[in-house]
Amino acid sequence: MKKFLAVFKKEILVFLRNVMLVFILIYAFTFDIYIAGQGIEVKPRNVSIGYVNYSGELLPQKILAHLHAPEFQKPKRFLNEEELKKAIFNKEIMVGIIFDKDFEKNFIRKKEAQLNVIIDSTAAAQAEVSVQYLTQTIYSMIDGKMPVDIKVYKLFNPNSNSKWFMSLSELLSVVTMLSLVLIAVVFVREKEAGTWDIMLLMPVNGALIMFAKVFSQIFIITVGLVMGIGLILFGVFGVPMNGNLLYFFLLTFFFIMAMGGIALVIAAYSNSVLEVSQYTVLVIMPLLFLSGAWTPIHSMAPWLQKLSIISPVKYYIEGAQSIFFRGTEFIDLLPYFAGEIIIGAVLFYLGYRRMGKLF
Amino acid sequence: MKLGVVKAYLKKEFIDLWRSKMIVMVYLIPMMVVILFGYGIRMEVTHSRTVIIDRDNTKMSQEIIRAFSTTKYFDTKVLNITDNEALRLIKQNKADLFIIIPHNFEKNLMHSRNAEIAVYIDGSFPLRATTLEGYVQGVFLNQLEKNGVKVPFKINQRNFFNESMRDENGIIPGLIGLTMLIAPAIIAALLIVKEKEAGTIFNFYSSPVSKIEFLIAKLTPPFILYSFNTFILFLIAVYIFKVPFKGSFLLYFLASEIYIVISIGIGLLVSIITSRQVTALVLTVLITVIPGFLYSGILMPISSMTGESYIEAHMFPVMYYNHLLYDAFLIAQGFNSPKNVEYFFILIFYAAALLFIGSLLLKKELK
Amino acid sequence: MLEVKNVTVKYKNIVGVRNVSFKADSGEIIGFIGADGAGKSSTMHAIAGVKRFEGEIIFRGQVYHSPKEAEKIKPQLSLMPQGLGLVLYDNLSVKEHFEFFRNIREVKRDIEYEKRLLNMAGLYEFQDRLAGHLSGGMRQKLSLILALLPRPKLLILDEPTTGVDPISRRELWDIVDGFRKKEGIIALISTAYMQEAEKMDKLLLFDEGEVIARGKADELKESIKDYTYEGEIESEDCFSFNNRTYSLKPLNLKKASPLLEGVFFVNALKKGKKNLKIELEEKEAKLSEVVVKAEGLTKKFGSFIADDHVDLELKSGEILGLLGANGAGKTTFMKMLLGLYPIDEGELYLLGKRIKSYEDRLELKSKIGYMSQRFALYEEMSVKENMEYFAKMHDLSPKETKEKIEYFSTLFGFKKYLNDFPKDLPLGINQRFSLSVALLHEPVVLFLDEPTSGVDTIARATFWKFLREIKEKWKISILITTHYMSEAEYCDRVVVLKRGKKIVDDEVKKLHEKFPGLSFEEIFIKYYEGSA
Repeated sequence: MKKFLAVFKKEILVFLRNVMLVFILIYAFTFDIYIAGQGIEVKPRNVSIGYVNYSGELLPQKILAHLHAPEFQKPKRFLNEEELKKAIFNKEIMVGIIFDKDFEKNFIRKKEAQLNVIIDSTAAAQAEVSVQYLTQTIYSMIDGKMPVDIKVYKLFNPNSNSKWFMSLSELLSVVTMLSLVLIAVVFVREKEAGTWDIMLLMPVNGALIMFAKVFSQIFIITVGLVMGIGLILFGVFGVPMNGNLLYFFLLTFFFIMAMGGIALVIAAYSNSVLEVSQYTVLVIMPLLFLSGAWTPIHSMAPWLQKLSIISPVKYYIEGAQSIFFRGTEFIDLLPYFAGEIIIGAVLFYLGYRRMGKLF
Repeated sequence: MKLGVVKAYLKKEFIDLWRSKMIVMVYLIPMMVVILFGYGIRMEVTHSRTVIIDRDNTKMSQEIIRAFSTTKYFDTKVLNITDNEALRLIKQNKADLFIIIPHNFEKNLMHSRNAEIAVYIDGSFPLRATTLEGYVQGVFLNQLEKNGVKVPFKINQRNFFNESMRDENGIIPGLIGLTMLIAPAIIAALLIVKEKEAGTIFNFYSSPVSKIEFLIAKLTPPFILYSFNTFILFLIAVYIFKVPFKGSFLLYFLASEIYIVISIGIGLLVSIITSRQVTALVLTVLITVIPGFLYSGILMPISSMTGESYIEAHMFPVMYYNHLLYDAFLIAQGFNSPKNVEYFFILIFYAAALLFIGSLLLKKELK
Repeated sequence: MLEVKNVTVKYKNIVGVRNVSFKADSGEIIGFIGADGAGKSSTMHAIAGVKRFEGEIIFRGQVYHSPKEAEKIKPQLSLMPQGLGLVLYDNLSVKEHFEFFRNIREVKRDIEYEKRLLNMAGLYEFQDRLAGHLSGGMRQKLSLILALLPRPKLLILDEPTTGVDPISRRELWDIVDGFRKKEGIIALISTAYMQEAEKMDKLLLFDEGEVIARGKADELKESIKDYTYEGEIESEDCFSFNNRTYSLKPLNLKKASPLLEGVFFVNALKKGKKNLKIELEEKEAKLSEVVVKAEGLTKKFGSFIADDHVDLELKSGEILGLLGANGAGKTTFMKMLLGLYPIDEGELYLLGKRIKSYEDRLELKSKIGYMSQRFALYEEMSVKENMEYFAKMHDLSPKETKEKIEYFSTLFGFKKYLNDFPKDLPLGINQRFSLSVALLHEPVVLFLDEPTSGVDTIARATFWKFLREIKEKWKISILITTHYMSEAEYCDRVVVLKRGKKIVDDEVKKLHEKFPGLSFEEIFIKYYEGSA
């Protein structure tokens, strides 16, 4: 135990003295998460809008008055359809509205009017959301005239605050990446610096050194995690915590062990930090891709869905979202823990075996 | 400039790229990024697990259930459970949403009384939730119209550029822009810093090889290799992801070539201030990924930006290239649009400026 | 022909070298000698035009004051920087290197000349081998012939022979020497080997960024003649090395002919530096006669046999030198003894006990001390933190640890560096600090892998003094590899490996008796070339 602590302490010290690693850790757990949380917006924000009005002034102006900040920029008037289209082609305007000659007349007389909307749908999702928002705004003007009242409740995040989701997602990606990189680097640095032999010559069981090294990095990541959650998630973005934070840390621990297994394999095959970073890129992309972080797993191709069962990242991300947002009880979190522990045990064992050959 | 010198250096670089397996990285990583993210980032939500609690049990409610189960967006299950049980399903992540059709729904609707439907969506992933909300409303409105219920406004939506509203059409060109910014910069920086780290840079410092010769020798390989990548990525986009290519290939090719030069120029600047490969790698990624994502138009249209982000977007070359890229794939105005011509020249300016600054700062001596 | 006037080289906050001036004529070899960091490399970099400097340099009528102005002489210049084959590309073959250097230096292909160079370096048969697969000595030789390829008029070689075995070293020297006579070039060469320095036409002695003495080797030796005595003694006011003692104060000893390295000692004494006093307490150790015994140890890497049935006995209280050319299998052999490599064939005994299982090896590890080539310790931790870490790993109590740190830092004279980081220490201090780490847990055997490579003469002398003291007083057996053949004289016995086979195993004394009048280096080469 004393020796375990000695190695543990040494690795912490070595980490703290390595300016670049400390910088990366702090950057990843603060700025990186902050930028991801800030940068991506689900609700339309500041959408540039243009219009051409061939109809009367009254109704169109009433509609346009409802399209305002923060969702829309001030609608810009164009003289004819050609001009409006040109602006859309030049990407100056994203949404164009054309009020036909009969627009006002039809609305008043027949209670049925058609509104022409042109949209730059290059980014399909943004376009979709913008049009939806536009539709809702217009419908809300005539509230009560709709025959059915569809009441939509968004659970856990009623205002669709995407910062919550994005910052948490990024935090989880950061944990994924750093657990690979840091754990691999803690071994490879000894190879690079030529201290590998000295390490092996310690009259200590190889397993003890390996575990001490891995745990030291888990500790460092946990510190970063606390910083990221405290400062950015709770502090800046006010992410809710509907479950128990303790469960999250427990899940994180098992997850890092699973990633540690992969990291050990990477470390066994690389001789320099540069090689570690290259292998990490190759490994991390499929992992994140299979995690459901971007696309819901049930929207994937069936074979991919099957494959994702063995991705440790999947259990981690789903579990973490359940804890943070859905406030899932412990009993319902068990599948995530079970998945993480089983995969973690297998991966860590494999990594341990591979690395053990070098001891 | 001595051609023989350049040729010898070039040959050495290519042999080294080949034997050090770096060439794999050159082609594998951009392809992986585009393919994985192309499949991976999907805003469209399909097969969302939907629970419908039908407490009305009428012809109308049956029809609504049928309407939901016939689209690819919903995988419906009709369950007779309480609200709380349904909530638990969501907490267990076994369902994405549930819809409650209340008792007397049909009756209320027929008698023009206020009929209400409650929809509960898991809002953990807001983008998914908002998308689902739209789908749900769409299905209902459609159903109502079929049943002759009048809607006061009809929105006639015309989509430009990406008529079928496919995610891939927007994302894949964006990813091409992103990889073309990051990857050549990394390779260019590594090729130079590698020599610094190993010590072989002395062969340049202490020999009559001139700065220009050295630069050409170092920057040409990534340029040529990534020029092939413009074709590979184009083929991936068009054949694997079926992104329409409406515009001019010439524009795409020329703009991409200039963009590669810009990226290489960034790599050159990084290589001047770093002396270790790892540092060069991290630094290049840091300074390219963030603006690459933010100003690509994948996350937010440039036209929606205000204040600093608007200025920043115009400062980074990313926006100009992406504009041309989208034009080549989806818009097809080509060089007829004055804006495209303007952006094209702005890119040329960036490329020239970066190379100029880089070659000024490169010193043929130890620090 | 080459004139260096008042050249000063500055780095960010330190001065590399101050006001160096000298002249050299064509055909001359100028030797740069001095400790690590004394300013040799800085001067070379300035002359080669790869580093900014103050002052003026004139070569063949061309005047330059900066790297930019030095461009015009670069076609006539070749620089070989310090480090084993630093200018080589690992992924290029020997032949491809020739092609590359021929083209970037714009020389016409001269098949005869290239063949001559390749033959001189013994690389003719290895033309298709990648540089990354060449041994250290071969890399140095390749770098050298590549530097000679453009037939430079000014050849600058920065420690071309450090880390190179005596055989390769002699070949390297022959190449340069033969060359300057034929081509009439100026060569600037820095070296840590005094036998080489003696062969140079003129020497510049660097110390702390300045040239403190210059002249022919004989002149330099002549200047310290009055301070040189025969034999070795233990005192703070004088230095002893290689059977000579140097002292400013007259000693009651017989005068002796000075050796070139004496210049360093006399200079240190003149600067008021004291010799480290070393007196260890006698320790009783009851050990078996044979500490380490290896029988028929064999290691194969694929079809390549690194060590072929090597027997070795390390007796209690002896210093055993393990010698051989680069790639002869020394390091592999040592790693097998250390338990770092599994043994393919043969048996290993430590203190009479056969080492077989993993547990045996763990026990083995607690009884041996090891010091690696680069003195590799943890860069990110201070000297003290390093020592504390190793102490804990060897189960020392905090009290013991504190005492040991105090003891060793005082004994080895690095107390004032305890809170510094290894990379900020002079190489000599680092070396002693590494030694103390290897000794912390009171091992019975010490394995030292080239512990003196790249370290300056004074530090080497001190280091050897320690080793002998440790051997005599603490009865620790030492197995050491070195490329300094003069150091082999300090060993009790030597084992020489050649291509994985043992060719010599004898006491140094007996070898000298066998070849009277020959230096150890000469004996070594005789054996290696099979003429003994």
